[in-house]
Amino acid sequence: MTRYIIERIIAMFITLFIIVTIAFCVVRMMPGSVYDNPELPQSVIDALEAKAHLNEPLLVQYGYFLKGVILEGDWGTSVKIEPSVPAFDVLVKRIPVTLEINIYSLLISLPLGIIFGTIAALRKNKLADHLISVMVVICISVPSFVFASLLQYVLAFKLELFPIVYESTAVGVQRFASMALPIMALAFGPIATVTRYLRGELVETVNSEFMTLAKTKGLNQVQATVRHAFRNSCLPLTNVIIPMFTNVLGGSLVIERIFSIPGVGGIMINSINANDHPLTIAVLIFYSLVSLLTILIVDLSYGIIDPRIRLEAK
Amino acid sequence: MYIADQNNMPKIPKEKFVFVQQGTAIKDENFETKPIGFFKDAMMRFCKNKASVSAMVIILFIIFLSIFGPSFNSYGFNDQDVNRINLPPRIPVLENIGIADGTRVLTNRRVDNLDDPEKYPEGSIVEILNRRTEKNVEMCDVKINYYVYTGYDDEYFWAGTDYLGRDLWTRLCRGSRVSLMIATLAVFANILIGIIYGAIAGYYGGKVDMVMMRICEIIGAFPQVVVATLFIMFFGTGIFSIVMALIIRGWISTARLIRAQFLRFKSREYVLAARTLGVRDRALIFRHILPNSIGPIITKAMIEVPNAIFSESFLAFIGLGLQAPEPSIGVLLSDGQKVLLHYPYQTLFPALLISILMISFNLFSNGLRDAFDPTMRGID
Repeated sequence: MTRYIIERIIAMFITLFIIVTIAFCVVRMMPGSVYDNPELPQSVIDALEAKAHLNEPLLVQYGYFLKGVILEGDWGTSVKIEPSVPAFDVLVKRIPVTLEINIYSLLISLPLGIIFGTIAALRKNKLADHLISVMVVICISVPSFVFASLLQYVLAFKLELFPIVYESTAVGVQRFASMALPIMALAFGPIATVTRYLRGELVETVNSEFMTLAKTKGLNQVQATVRHAFRNSCLPLTNVIIPMFTNVLGGSLVIERIFSIPGVGGIMINSINANDHPLTIAVLIFYSLVSLLTILIVDLSYGIIDPRIRLEAK
Repeated sequence: MYIADQNNMPKIPKEKFVFVQQGTAIKDENFETKPIGFFKDAMMRFCKNKASVSAMVIILFIIFLSIFGPSFNSYGFNDQDVNRINLPPRIPVLENIGIADGTRVLTNRRVDNLDDPEKYPEGSIVEILNRRTEKNVEMCDVKINYYVYTGYDDEYFWAGTDYLGRDLWTRLCRGSRVSLMIATLAVFANILIGIIYGAIAGYYGGKVDMVMMRICEIIGAFPQVVVATLFIMFFGTGIFSIVMALIIRGWISTARLIRAQFLRFKSREYVLAARTLGVRDRALIFRHILPNSIGPIITKAMIEVPNAIFSESFLAFIGLGLQAPEPSIGVLLSDGQKVLLHYPYQTLFPALLISILMISFNLFSNGLRDAFDPTMRGID
């Protein structure tokens, strides 16, 4: 098992290295200089570029970049979005907001999805099941940014129940109120995914032998499902939930823009549009790292839950 | 053993052949029904699924609109006119019953200006709401017919106009055309690459399979957002680079599906029989094994279409969409989102369009999957 984990981690770092290399080359080959400020004289721009090693060949630049990242933890300095602040610090300041919203939306979607999925499985082919499956189709199909617009207009603007945009200075209840809409917008998809998956799993296990046994010992359908079938479906459920995190993180790129949340998604868009190359690279690395970590965790948890996969990989 | 040779068959006159059952009637009957082929069978099952059939009708209708919609009225998708910006929707028959009648409420207007024909042209005021006095000035909210107000009384913009005075109906139709085109191109390329790659990996197996699947795994580990961003940054915005950005990572799931199908079918007896007869690898792959996967391939393609439409809108939203003035659903939606609180209809129509399109495609592909593979029924 240890060897398997080490292998996967090494593979992850190799992939990360490839992505970083490609990202660095693409971003640096983009037209337009980082320092194309018309107010600065050419000599100053040249000096700035020389200081950031921009006048050297791409390979040498990449060497400097890697040296900075690995030896000094220096990811370059943001140029335009937050001038002369290290890109790493810009990122670290914003990651908590993004993570907070994403994790909250997953946290509320999990119990809701489990409840809906169990109800749908227990009332299979009855009205409740049909209603839930309509809800699932809608929630899975409609993009999160459409939900976000709808919620923003109806709940925040018309009914004035929530603030229209995120308030970064608010504290306590108000802070949660301003986070509620983005969290809701992001949660619809995961709720539907969990519901659909759990319903499928439960419906399948209903006919298995251990369920017959559970009923033989006197449990009714609901008791048997909740105590036995549900527990059996919980482990594979983790493998649906963890990859959802990457999806939610991608979706939050847009949601953050709609609700003006000062998170990572916002600086990704802004840094691309403003040619702030060091920051763009840092954000891209962050997204790659998160998605690679998710894949790693899924792989490892598969290995722990189902040892057959581990054997196959060897 | 004697093997009859076609050329040296002994000549037997026709009269010598006699039916074995001569005299007694042949008991078995002809089939009264016609044989049902794979597609017909699937078609019958598909037609029973009402949700999927209506989804298909909706999709066909949207495709029809995307092709012919722009010619329903005389406005071009890029006809800009600063005098008619942000007009609300107005539809000929519906305006009489109060929906889409081209009216808008202007808030905080001075009452004494209401009679001024310079400011409010004849007949533009529909209703005066919420009269009040603030700081000794009589104020009110006015519901006005915005078309009369701006002097476009004879025009009908069915979905209103945007911030440059462009007709939204035309832009919506053209946008759905562009989005569907991007999705179709991307899905077609993905399926094609996926079929070839997956077929080779699955058919040859062993080392070839291992290397090809490792490559898949590495490409699959690239996050979609990052790949698409880099691609569009590098090649610039446009239909081509968006399609390419969707292809880069999109073919992997198809390749995996096809590979699994090949692993399942390649050791069947009929493949062995064909191989014994000396059929070449290429014919074995494409004529004998691949046709088994036609159902999953079609289903997969239909599942990928809404994903591609979603990805395109997503890219438009983060500012990596098509270049103006070309519209796509995503571009319209992200433009509308900017003025959501003032002109909600500019978000409503693209949002409705993309939602209906996504739901329809999902229902349609569910129906197709059930039709082609009834064992999967109910596993939504």
